[in-house]
Amino acid sequence: MALTSVQSFYSPEDNKTVIELLDKHEDSALIVAGGTFLHGLVSRGLLSGIEALISIQKLGLNKIDVGKGAISIGATTLLGQLKGCPQVQQESWLGAIKDAMEYPPVQIMNSGTIGGSISSSCPFFDFPVSLLALDGSVQAEGGSGSRDIPLQEFFAGLFENSLASDEFVTGVSIPVPSKSSTSAFIKMETNANDLAILNVGVRLTMGDAGICDEARVFVGGGVGESPVRSPSAEAALTGGAVDNDAIDLAGQAVLADVDPLSDHRASADYRKAMSGVLLKRALKSAMQRLS
Amino acid sequence: MTELNVIGKSVIRPDAHDKVTGGKKYPVNYTLPGMLHMKMLRSPYPHAKIISIDTSAAEKLAGVRAVITPDDVPQQYFTPVYFVPHLAKSMPHDFVLMSDTVRWAGQPVAAVAASSEDIAEQALELIDVEYEELPTVFDPEEAMKDGAPQLHESAPNNIAKAPSFTFGDLDTGFEDADHIFEGVYETQRVHTCYMEPRVCVADSDTQGNITIHSSMQHTFGLREKLAYALDIPESKVNVVKPTYIGGGFGGKLDIGFIEGLSSLLSLKTGKPVRAEHSRGEDFIATTRNPVKVYLKTGVKKDGTYTARYIKSVLDAGAHATHGAEVIMVHGLYGTFFPWKCANQTWDGFTVYTNNMIGGGYRGYGAPQGCFAVESQNDEICETLGVDPIEFRLKNTHREGDPHPVLQGHTLSSYKIEECLRQGAERIGFDKRQAAGSDEGVKKKGIGFACHPLWVSGCVGFPDIYEHSGATVKLNRDGTADVVSACVDLGSGQITMLSQVVAEELGLKIEDVKIVYADTDTAPFDAPTHASRATYSAGLATKAAAVETKKRLFKAAAAVMEANADDLILENGMVMVKGAPDSAVPMVDIIARAESPFIQVTDEGPQPTTIAEKGTIIGTSSMAPPTNPSPVGAQFIELEVDTETGEVEILRVVHSTDVGQVIHPNSAEGQVEGGFQQGLGYALMENLQFDQETGACLSADFLDYKIPTAMEMPSKIESIFIDSNEPSGPYGAKSMSEMCLIVPAAAIANAVYNAIGVRITDLPITPEKVLRALGKL
Amino acid sequence: MKQIIELDINDEVHELAVEPYDSLLRTLRDRAGLQGTKKGCDSGGCGCCTVLVDGKAMYSCMTMVMSVQDKKITTVEGLPEGGELDPLQQAFIDAGAVQCGYCTCGIMMASKQLLNENPNPSEAEIRKGISGNLCRCTGYQKIVEAIQLAAAATKNG
Repeated sequence: MALTSVQSFYSPEDNKTVIELLDKHEDSALIVAGGTFLHGLVSRGLLSGIEALISIQKLGLNKIDVGKGAISIGATTLLGQLKGCPQVQQESWLGAIKDAMEYPPVQIMNSGTIGGSISSSCPFFDFPVSLLALDGSVQAEGGSGSRDIPLQEFFAGLFENSLASDEFVTGVSIPVPSKSSTSAFIKMETNANDLAILNVGVRLTMGDAGICDEARVFVGGGVGESPVRSPSAEAALTGGAVDNDAIDLAGQAVLADVDPLSDHRASADYRKAMSGVLLKRALKSAMQRLS
Repeated sequence: MTELNVIGKSVIRPDAHDKVTGGKKYPVNYTLPGMLHMKMLRSPYPHAKIISIDTSAAEKLAGVRAVITPDDVPQQYFTPVYFVPHLAKSMPHDFVLMSDTVRWAGQPVAAVAASSEDIAEQALELIDVEYEELPTVFDPEEAMKDGAPQLHESAPNNIAKAPSFTFGDLDTGFEDADHIFEGVYETQRVHTCYMEPRVCVADSDTQGNITIHSSMQHTFGLREKLAYALDIPESKVNVVKPTYIGGGFGGKLDIGFIEGLSSLLSLKTGKPVRAEHSRGEDFIATTRNPVKVYLKTGVKKDGTYTARYIKSVLDAGAHATHGAEVIMVHGLYGTFFPWKCANQTWDGFTVYTNNMIGGGYRGYGAPQGCFAVESQNDEICETLGVDPIEFRLKNTHREGDPHPVLQGHTLSSYKIEECLRQGAERIGFDKRQAAGSDEGVKKKGIGFACHPLWVSGCVGFPDIYEHSGATVKLNRDGTADVVSACVDLGSGQITMLSQVVAEELGLKIEDVKIVYADTDTAPFDAPTHASRATYSAGLATKAAAVETKKRLFKAAAAVMEANADDLILENGMVMVKGAPDSAVPMVDIIARAESPFIQVTDEGPQPTTIAEKGTIIGTSSMAPPTNPSPVGAQFIELEVDTETGEVEILRVVHSTDVGQVIHPNSAEGQVEGGFQQGLGYALMENLQFDQETGACLSADFLDYKIPTAMEMPSKIESIFIDSNEPSGPYGAKSMSEMCLIVPAAAIANAVYNAIGVRITDLPITPEKVLRALGKL
Repeated sequence: MKQIIELDINDEVHELAVEPYDSLLRTLRDRAGLQGTKKGCDSGGCGCCTVLVDGKAMYSCMTMVMSVQDKKITTVEGLPEGGELDPLQQAFIDAGAVQCGYCTCGIMMASKQLLNENPNPSEAEIRKGISGNLCRCTGYQKIVEAIQLAAAATKNG
C-alpha cells in the first residue's frame, strides 16, 4: 500500500517554513520525522487524503541539551541517541527512559524519533509513558509562537494530539528533580518486536530518612485512548518508606484506577492484573537503582 | 555398509552463495518487459451474494488495461489441492476461481490489471459492488446443527466429509478398563508465515499458451489445476519450476486466486501479468485448520489401552480445500493408527464455516492430533503413576511390526524406544520434580511428547499422487546436470538431490547442478510436501543417476572393449572391477561419446563407434516402494512465571529416527526451525478474526506474533538415532514434519509439570496460564 | 508526480525517478534494480528489508526515499569488498545458516551494524541485535553461530 495522494515532500530548513507549509496545506499535510508511524498507519489503510509530507529532519532538532533545570530533547532525536546519552545511562532519576530504550529492535532505535513517538499520541508506545512518569512536557511551535504543553494535556485521544493545525512539536523537556529521585519503566510484550500489551512508568522522589515525598505512576498499553495515571497507587507510596508492604499496597491500589480494554492481544482482566504485577516490579527496580 | 563420500556430510549448500549475495532466483524477483500488475478486490462480507458489479469507473482510470469479475471467469469447480487430481473423487469440488457467492471475508470478487501496482490499487476503489448479505456461521459445531446457514448445496449440515474408522468393540473395551479418561483439546488457526509472499507472473501467447512463474511448492499440480480452471488443455500450460522459493511449509500447496486470475488477464490483455500478495493477503490465503478433538480413553491400571474413542471436528472454512485431506491424515496418522488398541473408533468431520480457507502446513493434521493424544497420555501416566516412557512403549508399535495402515508393508526401521530413552536421558527426565511442586514464583517443568507413526511420502493414500522423476546428464567436463521438478522450499532439496547424484556418480558436490526444469521438459514430480522429497524424489533421482551410469558404461564398454556389467566408476575413473590398470577417465569416455563420429586428428581421420555415441544421459520416473515411518520425541525444560503467566523455554532435546541422515547440519536446521514454529504454535500464534464481520484482526507481524531470536532457547539439541531404512536412498527416510508434530504437546506437558494444571487449548498464552492457576 | 533524485547506494550514485511517497525499499527494488533487499511484510515487522543508512540498520520499507537523499545507503550488494565476500556472508554459508535465505540479507545488514559497533558480542547481544528480524526456517540457532563465526573471523583477519 502506498500513500498515493501525496504530491509533495518538503524538507524545509527553518521552523518558519514548516509553519507556512502547515498553514498552506491545513489538514492534508503531515509532519514526518523518521516516518515509521506514518508507514504503519498507511500499511493498515488508516491514512488517506494526505497531499503533503513535511520533513523536519533539516531543522537541527536532533540535539539533547542537558541544562541545570531541565533536559531538552529535540524532536528529531533518535531513540538510539537517547539511549546513548550518558545521563540516561547513569542517572537513576532517568531510569525510566533508560529502561524504555532497552526494548526496541535496532531498526526502530535508528529511525524512531522522540517527536514522532510523542506526536503519534499512541498509548501503546513506551517513551511517552516513561516521559509521563518524569513529568515531561512538549515544546511546540506554531503561527502564534512557541509554547510548553504538559504531556498529559498533549494527548487528546487515540492518535490525536492537542496541537493547533499550524503547530508542530520541536522537542520535549524533562525537569531535573530537585531531590533524590529514581524511576523505572517496564513493558509486557508477546515477542521482542511488539507494542505494549501493558506498560508501567514510575518515578519516586525520596526525601529524608527514606520517605517517599512524591510518586508518579502511569500505565500504558491497552488502557484506553491515552496512558492513565494512578493517583491511588501514588497515594499508597507517598509519605512512607517504599518497602515491600508499600509496594504490595501500591500494586493493589493501581487496580482501582485502571480500566483496560479487551482486544485480540489481551483481555481487560489480564491487563488489569498485570498493571499490579508490573507496577510492583517497576517499583522494586526503581528502588534497586537507588542502592 | 559401504563408505559414503558425500551422503552424511554437511556439504556447503550449492544455493547458499547466491542467497547471501542477494538471491537472484526468487520468484518475487521475476519480471518481464511490458508486464502489468494485478490487484484483487476482496469482499468485506463473510457471506453474501453479489447483486451487481460496476467496473466502468475503474476501467476508465488511466493505466488500467483490464478488469474482470466472476462473469469473466470460467465456472469450473474443482479441488485446488495440488497433490490430488483436480476432480479426485475423495475430495469436494467446491472451489472456483471467482464466484458471485461470497463465503468468507476476503474472497476476491474482481481483479484489475494495470501498468503499475499503485494504479491497480487505486482502480479497486473505483469498483462498485452491490452485495446482499447472508447469515453467517463461524463455529463448526454450530455449522453442523440443523438450521445453520447452508454454505454449499452439496453438503447438508455443512459437512464436507465425515470419515470414520473402527476396530473391535468400544463398549467391551470401556467395560474392560480400570480407568477412563476424557478430554477435549482445541487448536487454533495459525499461518505458515513463509517470508517470501505468494507471487506469480503469467504470460501468454496469441495461441492461448500460458507460461507461468510462481512461488508454489509444486509445478505439475499448478499446471493441472490452472488448465482445468481456465478450461484449456493441460498441454497449453507450462509451469516453470522456481530455482528455489522463500519458504513454503505447506502454505503454497494449492492453486491460489492469483495464478488463475493473472492468467486470464494475460490472455485478455496479451501482456504478461504479475500478481504479488501483500502480507495481509498472505495471512488470509492459507492456514492450519483448527481441530477440536474429543478423546475418551480406557486403560488398565498398568496403562495398557483397552478402548479409544476419538471425535475430531475440523473447521474447513469457506471451501474444503486441504481440510478434506487434513482430516484423513489427522485421523489415520495423527490419532488412530500411531497407537495400538484392539477397540477404537475415530469419527472425523470436515465442516464448512464462513471462516478463511485452510491450506497445508507442516504436519498436516498430526500436530493437532499429537497435542490431544499426548496431553491425555501425560495425564493418564500422572494419574495412574505409571512410567511415561514405558506407557508409550506399551501402547505403540515395534520395529518389524506390520505397518498399521499399509497392508503388506512393515515398519522396517522404527526406533521409537531409542528416541524415548536417549531423549529422556539427555534432558534428565527422571530428575523432574512432581507437577507443580516447584516453590518459586518462576516454576520449572520438564515434559515430553512423542509421535510414533508418520510418513515419508504418500504411498498408500487414496487419490494422492506419489511418483517422482529426474534426468541426469553428464557434461564433457565431468559435471552433471540434473533436471528435476522437485521444488526447493529452503529446506535443502537442491542440496539433497546434488548429494544423491554426486554419491551415485562419484562426483564432488560442486560438480552437480540442479538446472532449469518446467512441466514441458521434466518428468512428473509430486509436490515438496508430506516429508517426501528425500525419500521419493531422492530415490527417483538416484535411479536416474543409475541409468546415467549404465549409459556411461555402455559407451565405456565399447571404448574399453570390456563388458559393461564388469565396470565400476570410482573417483572419476571408469575401470573393470578388480583391474585398476584398466582405468579410463570418465571425462574421456564422455568426450568420445559427444565427439563427431569421425574425428580429424594429426594422425588423420579417426572413426569412433556407433555404440559409444550419444549424450550420457539417464532418466527415471518411479513410485517409491513403500512409506517408511520416521518417529520422534521431544523433551522440553521450561519455566513459568506464575505472576505474569509467561513461559520461557530453557532447553529442547529432539530425538528422532530418520534413517540415514543425508546432511547433518541441514537436519539440525530442520529441527531448530521446526521448533520456532512449534514454540509459536504452542505459546503465541493465533490468526484471529472479528466474530461478526469475519475481518482478520492479525494480518501483519505486529499482531500475529511469531518467535524472534529472543524468545528461542539458547540451544536446541538434536539426537539422530543410529538407524537405516533399507528402502530409502542410502538408508534415509523423512524428518521434517516430525519436528513440528511434537513440540506443542511437549511444551503443554512441560507446563503441566511446572504448574500442576493442564491447559488443553492452544495457544497457551500467559493469560490462560493465569486463569488455570485461578489468578484471573 | 515523479521527480528525479540522486541516491548514493553502495558508493555509486544512482539517478532515479521516484514518487514523493515511495519507500526506500520500493526504490531499491523497482527503480534501482537492486533486488537483494527483500519485501516480507512492507510494514516494519519482519526485517527482510533491512539496509544500512549511514551505517545504521533501518527498515527500508518504512523509510521514505525522499528523506535519505543525502545519506549513504548500503545494501547486501554492497557488502563484498575487493571481490571477496564480507565475513558475514562467508560465515552464513559456512555455518549452514541459510535455508530459504529470504531473511538472510536483512539479518546480515542488521548484524553488520552490530559487529561494527560491538566486535565481540555475547550471544544475548546477538539475539538482541537481530530481534527486529524474523526467520521462519532456521530457528535462529545457526544464524547466531554464523554471526559469532563472522565476529571471530573479523577479529583474526
